[in-house]
Amino acid sequence: MAGLSALARTLPRWISILALLAAWQGFAEAHVVSAFLLPAFSTVALRLYHDVLSGDLVWAVALTLYRAFVGFVLAGCFGIAIGIMIARVSLARWFFDPLVSIGLPMPKIAFLPVFILWFGVFDSSKILMTAFSAIFPVIVAAWAAAEGVESVLLWSALSLGAGRRQLLWEIALPAALPQIFTGLQVAMPIALIVEIVCEMAMGGEGLGGSIMTEMRFADSPGVFSGILAIAIVGAGLVRAMELLRRRLLVWHPEALAS
Amino acid sequence: MTATGISFRQVSHTYRPPRGGAVLALENVSLEVREREFLALLGPSGCGKSTLLYLLGGFLPVETGKITVGGELVTGPGPDRGIVFQNFALYPWKTVRQNILYGLEKQRLPRPERERRTQELIELVHLKGFENSFPAQLSGGMKQRVAIARTLAIDPAILLMDEPFGALDAQTRALMHEELLAIIRRAPKTVVFVTHDVREAVYLADRVAVMSARPGRIKEIVDTSFGGRRGAEIASTPEFAEKVDHLWSLVRNEAIRAQEQRE
Amino acid sequence: MIVMKTLLIRYSPLLLLAAAWEVAPRLGIIDPETLPPLSAVARAWFRLLRDGDLAVNGLSSLQNLAVGLALGIVIGVVLGISMAWYRPVEVLINPLVRVLYPLPRSALIPVMILWFGLGAASKIAAVFLGCLLPVVIGAYNGARGVEQVLVWSALAAGAKRRQVLWDVVLPAAMPEILAGIRNALALSFILLIAAELLISQHGMGYLISSFGEGGAYDAMFAGVFTVSAVGFLADRAYLLLMGWALRWRG
Repeated sequence: MAGLSALARTLPRWISILALLAAWQGFAEAHVVSAFLLPAFSTVALRLYHDVLSGDLVWAVALTLYRAFVGFVLAGCFGIAIGIMIARVSLARWFFDPLVSIGLPMPKIAFLPVFILWFGVFDSSKILMTAFSAIFPVIVAAWAAAEGVESVLLWSALSLGAGRRQLLWEIALPAALPQIFTGLQVAMPIALIVEIVCEMAMGGEGLGGSIMTEMRFADSPGVFSGILAIAIVGAGLVRAMELLRRRLLVWHPEALAS
Repeated sequence: MTATGISFRQVSHTYRPPRGGAVLALENVSLEVREREFLALLGPSGCGKSTLLYLLGGFLPVETGKITVGGELVTGPGPDRGIVFQNFALYPWKTVRQNILYGLEKQRLPRPERERRTQELIELVHLKGFENSFPAQLSGGMKQRVAIARTLAIDPAILLMDEPFGALDAQTRALMHEELLAIIRRAPKTVVFVTHDVREAVYLADRVAVMSARPGRIKEIVDTSFGGRRGAEIASTPEFAEKVDHLWSLVRNEAIRAQEQRE
Repeated sequence: MIVMKTLLIRYSPLLLLAAAWEVAPRLGIIDPETLPPLSAVARAWFRLLRDGDLAVNGLSSLQNLAVGLALGIVIGVVLGISMAWYRPVEVLINPLVRVLYPLPRSALIPVMILWFGLGAASKIAAVFLGCLLPVVIGAYNGARGVEQVLVWSALAAGAKRRQVLWDVVLPAAMPEILAGIRNALALSFILLIAAELLISQHGMGYLISSFGEGGAYDAMFAGVFTVSAVGFLADRAYLLLMGWALRWRG
């Protein structure tokens, strides 16, 4: 038994996924619940396959990814800039600290109607809502990273002749990058899901919109295949970020240890 | 005042933490360091010796008193005063080569010159073969050698060393002592060396300035030049042991006082 | 007194923003249609309170949130500790957790609607799903991290395995469990509002979006403010609770 549980913990995730899918299929085929409530995995997978082939899904995914990505990039750039400013400029710190500490635990999704009012019902409101939700973890990470840069690194650069500007771009930012990137890794799935929820609420094209449409038509396999698509896209993005991290931070002790 | 002679005149420094009260770290420190002299600043933890070094380096502002180098007031960091830190302060995202190159790039040396100097220094500190390694792949001793090479690259007239071998094990430390003396022999510099290790101070320095516990003051300055001799031969002389005992008795009281301050 | 003063200084930018919120729409710097002055929003808020809109929808939201959260906490703690304590449970549930963890639970709201229709049940289910995993993981890690010596000394003192679970493991795992619940609390708000935006009928999310569609923007902002304030205060209140519960940690 001990061996089995240790196995359960260390198995690669894909085996867990396979086991789960097998259980799903078995459960559905046993007709414990109706096919409407839980379509068989085979049905859903087939539906996903067809949607990909027909191009509909690809288009929806592309739209969603485009909007989520733009929102993420906005959150990233502004978040890093604000975070670093908070660490270096006391005025920025005084101004942003309460905003960030209040903003973090707030359910920012409640602001969606506000963004719709301000920016309309098309891409801009979704993108900005996404950016607004994703920016907080980036600010927090960049702030902590900037404060955590050891002064001896900066001092040694100064004595070697670095100017103020070079200090920021050549020393402080690379030193802060690991922690900043972690913030970006947290922000990315947030951007994706907020974008999807916005699409669900506002309708139209995109992954979220398609799922809501399918739901209204009681198209159960369609809904499940949409969710499967979200899971795959989400997992893909997380993996992509991990690979990017490994490339950018090839020098990091944790990377070199493995 | 000679070109790289250092002068501290009535230097005081107050440390103001973000939370809590101000603390007087240094009080009326006056000290002269001769050109090409190796001076050790010896004292217990918290006595302000590192602070004095940072003031000289221009990393902390001099609020009370004056510090001059070659007659010029110290107003900020500069390539004339190179610094080596206890925890190496290497740029972890740069390779050994890139770390050493950094100062040369900032000084805008032409490329062939930069490459030549870097290669020279890598060989000087015996790190050939590790040019493309990252700091995380190096041992403590190797990292410190990179740090020293990086600082020496721009050939500063003054070398500031803040307990540079404190993070190394005893054997590595002994080897580094020899390497440091060899380097200084080849290209003499003025060295200000902070340490709390009495033997290290006597072994390396021409003079040792003993500092009191906080607030730091210069208690006494002891000559440890051994008539110009250096190296392993002096370590076994009775004169050496005498100096170590003398300095230790000076430091001991201050170390006890520093201990009491912490409690 | 000093606490008041530091709080005031710390949050003074908010006062400044509040002042700007009042002045800018009045002066026309910002279109008062898109951002009604703070005083108008405040008036709308009191109006909603008086007319009972706030009470009805607020209560609906809180109810669904509370039920979903409570279910998530209870089941999550039981599941998490069982996973750490009984190996068969771990073997069974671990894959489920590892697979579901990266999937954002908001994406499952349409499935909830398919299963439970457009009503309170879907909202509760959505909140429950969102809360469950952080609590399971917190309880699991907390229980796993309990020092063996604590367990052994209890067993040696004659306690039965079940008693040890209740008397030793649960309290020792508290810090992690409470941290997981804090996470779950934040997620519960997000899932509730998301579900209400999609399901409508009742609740603060519905209130906000319906006022938005109807053009009553001052009331809409009043709703947004209320939700944000409650979310923020809930987190702060929970932190105090957590601090009190973990006071033995020092």
